Amino acid sequence: MENLTKETIDKGLEVLDTLNDGKLLTHLNSCVHCGLCADSCTYYLANPEAKFIPATKVDLVASIYRKYNTFGGKAFSKIVGARTLNEDTTNEMVDLLFGACTMCARCVSHCSIGVDITYVIKKGREMLSNMGMVPETLQSTIDSALETGNNMSIPETDFVETLEWLEEDLQYEVDDDNAKIYLDQKGKDILYTLNPREPKFFPLSISAMAKVFYVTGESWTISTKMYDVTNYAYYSGNYNEAAIITQRLYDEAENLDAKKIVLAECGHGSRAFRWEGPNYIKKEYPFDVTTSVELLASYLKEGKVKVDPNKIPDKVTLHDPCNLARSGGIWHEQRYILNKCVSDFVEMTPHGIDNLCCGGGGGQLAMSEYNDRRMAIGEIKAEQIRATGAKIVATPCHNCVDQLTQLNVTFKLGIKIMTLGEIVADAIVMETKD
Amino acid sequence: MNWYQLLAIVSASICLISCFIHGAKIINYGKPKDYSKKRGDTEKSVRYSYTGAMSPMKKESAYLHLPTYIAGISYHIGTFLSLFLFVIYLIGIYPTGIVALVISVLLLISGLSGFGILIKRISKDQLRSLSNPDDYISNLLVSLIQIMTALVLYLPQAFPYYFILISIFFLYLPVGKLKHVVYFFAARYHLGFFYGWRGVWPPK
Ligand code: SF4
Ligand code: SF4
Repeated sequence: MENLTKETIDKGLEVLDTLNDGKLLTHLNSCVHCGLCADSCTYYLANPEAKFIPATKVDLVASIYRKYNTFGGKAFSKIVGARTLNEDTTNEMVDLLFGACTMCARCVSHCSIGVDITYVIKKGREMLSNMGMVPETLQSTIDSALETGNNMSIPETDFVETLEWLEEDLQYEVDDDNAKIYLDQKGKDILYTLNPREPKFFPLSISAMAKVFYVTGESWTISTKMYDVTNYAYYSGNYNEAAIITQRLYDEAENLDAKKIVLAECGHGSRAFRWEGPNYIKKEYPFDVTTSVELLASYLKEGKVKVDPNKIPDKVTLHDPCNLARSGGIWHEQRYILNKCVSDFVEMTPHGIDNLCCGGGGGQLAMSEYNDRRMAIGEIKAEQIRATGAKIVATPCHNCVDQLTQLNVTFKLGIKIMTLGEIVADAIVMETKD
Repeated sequence: MNWYQLLAIVSASICLISCFIHGAKIINYGKPKDYSKKRGDTEKSVRYSYTGAMSPMKKESAYLHLPTYIAGISYHIGTFLSLFLFVIYLIGIYPTGIVALVISVLLLISGLSGFGILIKRISKDQLRSLSNPDDYISNLLVSLIQIMTALVLYLPQAFPYYFILISIFFLYLPVGKLKHVVYFFAARYHLGFFYGWRGVWPPK
């Protein structure tokens, strides 16, 4: 890392200016260094070193805050453990805040005080982003989204071609030549988004949702210009870029006059757009936003989709994406869906809002330089899955699907990984034509 | 009134004013502004944050570390008891007999809990690496105060030392981590608000 200029350091420190942020002021001053959050973090569990304790990551940011913003830190820096923002601390921050945290927030609810550890880590990432120190691998994913409209740089023609053959596939499956994947249609009830991993690697998850929409007779469309639900700038801490990405989807919903945006099965994407997005762009959405998990559960509750659980006889377990469950409050819906659609559903231990991260969150899948750590923490998830004896792992998140797929190969789990849309689609009982 | 009592009153006043300033700052900045559409009940969630979410059954920091958790609870009860007794002593009330005995036993237990936590911090590599001098000073200071608070009931000639020690404690509190006495409540509030907004807490 080249020498840090005063200007760069000042840009980092700007983030810690707590002048009008009571939440930041609070969480920067609350940790008592009891260390009791250690066992809640998979990084520490996989590698019990002090640097992986969540509080160590908090203290990296808080110690710098103390140095520049508190009387104690200025007058007695050694005593209160106040640190200067310099090359050493910056290197450490990059390594631990980017490279050793999936931002799963599991440590937060287990903290003895109630420190929002993830919030502080996000602030640390924001500091690094202001200083131009986001890992290149993560930044390149964001750049792709900014430059091409989707984080995998899929050309529009390829995307449209994929959807066209998926439409043919759908027509064959439901035996109806009028079954459609609607593209860029104005005035539909639903603008359905996708994780670009779907058209690129998992197109069947698109057909699955298309089949569900067909069965329910839903009024829906996909935008060929702006369909990407992800927002990796949420992970990099660059909130100007996060705002640009949010605004684009917002504009497309307005442009297509959609009543509701349905967020595809993507944990961080749904969090970034639903919960963080309005704060990035500093305005409320004029349209409704929901997740496909909630939508699928509502279809089943309302009887719009008929399913037969016997169509999925294998033992199924569920992996809760951290951003959807722990930080998004959605964990009953996926259980409702599975209880309806599969005949043998078992929970992992722990599960729900206490579930363990798969290891793919926090932008880890994009940052290949931390692959070893990612797989090491993933082993804990792999063993959790193995203990259930399940043959299928359902998860409503394409990032998690990706990580679980890698865990499946590395740790020889012999499982099949499915999204909830795929599960529902497989369990559907089609009405017979007269 | 003796000079050492006066010193303690001045120190306690400085401490209270500093804590008030910390608290006022947090309140002054107001509720977090959130543009997203609220999904849950923030009031219920904030209540849950101070109550159900604090249950030892809900936190790994408690149920995976029960001895430390129990020592911590005892230590904090001892701290509040000591602060209460500080006021009582200033007024000139000095418990005797069985009351003094009960207080002393409680403070002995809590003080020893404090020392136990200190020994853990010193002896565990990882906790040591997480700690700074403030962590040791704060722990030591509070544990000593608890022991001294009990001791003066049987050794009144130690009162000057007791008041000097508690004055140091009051002056130190707003500078180091002991100010979590204020920030703890703010942290619980913010966490409750955050999870309540999204409908995560209280769990249904
Ligand atoms: S957010 Fe998750 S990965 Fe990050 S420190 Fe907390 S428990 Fe560990
Ligand atoms: S449990 Fe909370 S207060 Fe204790 S060290 Fe961890 S973050 Fe700090």
